[in-house]
Amino acid sequence: MIALARKTLLYEWRRYLPATLAVALSGMLLLVQLALVYGIFQGAAVYINASRGQLWVGYPGTRSVDLGRSIPLDTEIHLLMNPGVRRVEPFQWVNGDWRGTPALGSVSVFISGIDPTANGLAFARVIPPQLRHRLYQPNAIIVDAADLPKLGIHLGQTGILNCQRVHLVGVVHGIRALGGVNIISSLATARGLNAGGDLRPAYYIVQLTQSGRAKALRNQLRSSSHPPRYSVWTSSQFAARTIRYWLFQTGAGLGVVFMSLVVFLVGTVITSQTLMGAVAGSIAEYATLNALGASHAALARVVLEQAAWVGTAGLAIGGVLSTILLFLARNQNVPVSIGPLGVLVCLGLVMGITLFSGLLAVRSLRNADPAYLLR
Amino acid sequence: MSSPLHAEGLSKAFLSGKVRTAVLEQLSLSLDPGELTLLAGPSGCGKSTLLAILSGLERPDQGWVEAQGERIWSLDHHALRRFRLHHVGFVFQGFNLFAALNAVEQVALPLTYLGLKPAEYRRRAEAALDEVGLAACRHLRPAEMSGGEKQRVAIARAMAKEPTLLFADEPTSALDSANGRIVIDILHRAARQHGVAVLCATHDPRLLSHADRILRMEDGRILDDQHPASPAPTAEDSAL
Repeated sequence: MIALARKTLLYEWRRYLPATLAVALSGMLLLVQLALVYGIFQGAAVYINASRGQLWVGYPGTRSVDLGRSIPLDTEIHLLMNPGVRRVEPFQWVNGDWRGTPALGSVSVFISGIDPTANGLAFARVIPPQLRHRLYQPNAIIVDAADLPKLGIHLGQTGILNCQRVHLVGVVHGIRALGGVNIISSLATARGLNAGGDLRPAYYIVQLTQSGRAKALRNQLRSSSHPPRYSVWTSSQFAARTIRYWLFQTGAGLGVVFMSLVVFLVGTVITSQTLMGAVAGSIAEYATLNALGASHAALARVVLEQAAWVGTAGLAIGGVLSTILLFLARNQNVPVSIGPLGVLVCLGLVMGITLFSGLLAVRSLRNADPAYLLR
Repeated sequence: MSSPLHAEGLSKAFLSGKVRTAVLEQLSLSLDPGELTLLAGPSGCGKSTLLAILSGLERPDQGWVEAQGERIWSLDHHALRRFRLHHVGFVFQGFNLFAALNAVEQVALPLTYLGLKPAEYRRRAEAALDEVGLAACRHLRPAEMSGGEKQRVAIARAMAKEPTLLFADEPTSALDSANGRIVIDILHRAARQHGVAVLCATHDPRLLSHADRILRMEDGRILDDQHPASPAPTAEDSAL
């Protein structure tokens, strides 16, 4: 075959550059936006993702980890009765009020009470055992390094939390909260900070004897609780459930969809206009081919192939730009996260933009009437 | 030898607002194979419209055109396109070459729609370029060619399909006299050597001496149908 589409694209690259850049920037905007939103809302599920253990058990129907309510204490025994369960660890959730310096005012915080033993499950991915051990000290707390300015405290200093003096024994990375500050303490400290409140845990984290049987154990534990006094989720399921809640119940997801539509619209307009201009610039040549017997479908294939090449080149440029941006964002502690599915969705959307633009440009081939060449 | 194209009672009018302008009126003609027929006449006399109707590009209001044993205006859209693909070549006033393709690719491109294998369409394209004297220019793009060379590529593109009918619309109007003569010589040779019926619309008086047959048109009618005794021999004819 004569690669008319590809050769034209290479020879007249300046003509196609605006479309290629539009596709590249559309792709970059979509990808970075998705990575940012997903990264930010991953913060909502940091309690789950930063912990080990295969199952989470909480109040029936809890839609997001931060909406947990106390569950009965005998749940622990009930869970341990299953031979597939190796370890059950309570997770205390307490809302707190941090009193910083007068200049900083007060800050709403989320206190996570965890088991400070060396093999504890909660936040095991971000708190090393030695640091975890320091939580045995009364009123000891750990926070994210990025939250120190917000709390107005440095390592080794004390602060007032829920009217009690607490002692900062360690800082870690990767536990920033969404809409507040995460403070980690021992279970005992957390209960002490919740004086007068419900002392029962909000969750139990479950470690299984065989981690690969998480779904089966989840189903077993679910069916063994009638009427349901608690819900059981696999860790990934509960994390996804939490992110989904934040995405779609808080209006943020709608914002993403709206922004994506704007990107789609702008990308489509620029790309289709460029392709239409290219078709118009070669309309006499297309008409001549039609006169010589090439079908409209064959000519449309040329335009669509050009659109596909523009999309491919745009995606390559957009991919490089996105990688650089995401790398810079990570370096600056900006929460960004995107998985293969997110990348695939962006790829699909961007190719959708270009092929839709190509289809719009194909319409201008209607002007390729060879009879006009004889008028 | 049977006529490759016969038309009878062709009429065509265009509407401009509420004004109906007749362009062709009850026109009939036949083309003979191996002949270069010039369609001469002033601008607006209906030459290009007649060409469009005979070549299957514009439907007449009345009359019929028969080619290859078929009434082409009874064919559906796809069959008409296939008819053009297999039997008709075109040379237009503008060369209409793709800027990105070299000469071989320009000529080979329409052949790909015939379903030929790459080796075959490349062989045919190179032979057609050789025939119009552009073998040495086969890797040049339009921007690197003169107007005359571009028109010769356009003729090679039309001839490489091995059509039985070749329609040319003012093929020399954008060329100087030397290039104009080369182009008309090539069209003449195409008719003689390949038995193609060539119909060439022109108002260039320099070409009249090269035609096997001259149809003079005016006001949508053929006023005169001449067969000059012996058209001036082309340079290539002389060489044969």
